[in-house]
Amino acid sequence: MSTVATSFEKANWGKRLLIAIPYAWLLVLFLAPFALVAGISLSTVRLGMPPFEPLTAWDGSILNLRLNFENFLYVLTDDTYLLAYLTSLKIAAISTAAMLLIAYPLAYGIASCAPSSRSLLVFLVIVPFWSSMLIRVYSWMSILRNDGLLNALLLKLGLIAEPLRILNTETAIYIGIIYTYLPFMVLPIYSNLSSADKTLIEAARDLGCSRISAFWRVTFPLSLPGVLAGCALVFIPVVGEFVIPDLLGGADTQMIGRAIWLEFFNNRDWPMAAAVTIVLMALLVVPIVYFQSRQSRERT
Amino acid sequence: MQSYISIENLAKSYGVVSAVNNISLGIEKGEFFSLLGPSGCGKSTLLRMIAGFETPTSGAIKLEGADVTDVPAHRRPTNMMFQSYALFPHLTVGRNIAFGLQQDGLAKSEIKKRIDEVAEKLQLAAMLDRKPAQLSGGQRQRVALARALVKRPKVLLLDEPLGALDKNLRTETQLELVRLQRELSLTFIIVTHDQHEAMTVSTRIAIMKQGQVLQVGTPSEVYETPQSRYVAKFLGETNVFAGGRAQRNGDELQIESDEAGGRLHAAFTDRVALDAPYWVSVRPERVELATSGSGLEGTVEQLTYTGVERHYRVRLKSGATLDARRVNHGTESDLGVGDRVFASWSPQASRLLAE
Repeated sequence: MSTVATSFEKANWGKRLLIAIPYAWLLVLFLAPFALVAGISLSTVRLGMPPFEPLTAWDGSILNLRLNFENFLYVLTDDTYLLAYLTSLKIAAISTAAMLLIAYPLAYGIASCAPSSRSLLVFLVIVPFWSSMLIRVYSWMSILRNDGLLNALLLKLGLIAEPLRILNTETAIYIGIIYTYLPFMVLPIYSNLSSADKTLIEAARDLGCSRISAFWRVTFPLSLPGVLAGCALVFIPVVGEFVIPDLLGGADTQMIGRAIWLEFFNNRDWPMAAAVTIVLMALLVVPIVYFQSRQSRERT
Repeated sequence: MQSYISIENLAKSYGVVSAVNNISLGIEKGEFFSLLGPSGCGKSTLLRMIAGFETPTSGAIKLEGADVTDVPAHRRPTNMMFQSYALFPHLTVGRNIAFGLQQDGLAKSEIKKRIDEVAEKLQLAAMLDRKPAQLSGGQRQRVALARALVKRPKVLLLDEPLGALDKNLRTETQLELVRLQRELSLTFIIVTHDQHEAMTVSTRIAIMKQGQVLQVGTPSEVYETPQSRYVAKFLGETNVFAGGRAQRNGDELQIESDEAGGRLHAAFTDRVALDAPYWVSVRPERVELATSGSGLEGTVEQLTYTGVERHYRVRLKSGATLDARRVNHGTESDLGVGDRVFASWSPQASRLLAE
């Protein structure tokens, strides 16, 4: 009896340790820096290093805490930032929807292939990850340039008379984002569809469903957890995406990731950049919580 | 005469592997018909062809005289109860049952009426709002049955429907299925590998082996007059002895069997050809054991007590074994291991098998 109890406790401690390691990691490398950013967002910009005033100062025996909310008021009232937030959310929403439309049929197609060819097809989806994302985005620059590959091809085919301006437009941002993030949408949907119980489709067919209605009444609703996971994996990072809009986008499309970068490195206004970041986080918490609660509800 | 369901020269092969090999069967309206056989005998493939999930390589399936061979599953007036039940996990019990009716575009009030009716019949009324994951195995089985029955199919197909239930519940459910089938006067076709199940529920049984139907008949026909050693052994237990040619002696046939070590007797029928060798089969419950007298001599090698019966395994003088059974009447066995016994049975208990 006692040996059972001790081995159970041991297992329990092993389990706790396993969980503790990633949590410690997150605490040190995510929560602590996040607290620093939150602190900086409430301070005042100054010249020097670090380029912000400390939040606390000793005045004799009195510890003064000075929280400056001006940055937040500015972020929330200034049109530039509001527009950048809205643009980011819009681009993220549209590209997420577009990726879903591309990824679902792709994942469905792979999942309905013979198991032997599935692994090759999944491998092909992941292959782009073998080269750096930065390099891949640079390649898109050379493809989309006015004298780039795409325009050269279209001109040669006689489909256009003069080069299309794609690079440095919102279209280029969409192309870059959809290209880069598509695998993150394909994989969770594929993993869901490939483990789906095929007899459920037969049951639906048996009960009078055509192939199409069996898909909409059974396959699709049952794949929603995969769809939601894919949307979350794609939407959240795309809102804060910085590299793609910076390299492929134009000056007229300001996404919030780029705004933060400019504030940090061009304007050296760390408190303002931090405030923009905190507001972005707050915005993203809403979809994250939504996706999470949907997922846990699907499971019950 | 055309059967209600007629299966004509049906075959299905996957590449070079033949799953169903030229089967012809007629199933009548209101039957509870079993396809019985070991796994891999093609019984499920046959059922799936009737349901429309598999396309036959050749042959035809006719329902009430109409050829349905090329009718897709969703347009066939058949419904299937799956071995895994295949309940939709994202829908409540009520919505699972309503699924097929909604697909048919029935009015909401009609759907509700039918669900209430079937839920009443299968004691599901209290759990219509639950999800399949919240049900026990027996409850899930009833939901699967309700979902198929509510569509009022011409033929209900059951693929190993009780395989996942434990033994006691299974026996109970078999009787329940028979009651339902009679009450609704529907035609049921069940696939099973369990001979007890097939005997319990069926009006007729088709015994299958390697893609072919070996014998079709009522439970007592296939048990009492098997036409092959395979059928005799598959349905219950039996003793089979290889014998020589049958000799007629009045109302009796006599067969010399070296395997049994003596002369065996069988009742004369004109179906027996007198110039061919036969196997003789006798069921253990028909064998009588005595400590003296005539018959095949041997010694009791093993004695098993099962409660209902005592099973004796006798080593005959010829070296072959013979199984015998006695119903437990509450008295101690007068035979023990090592005792010398004489085994005999009435000529009517012998079955002559040509193959």
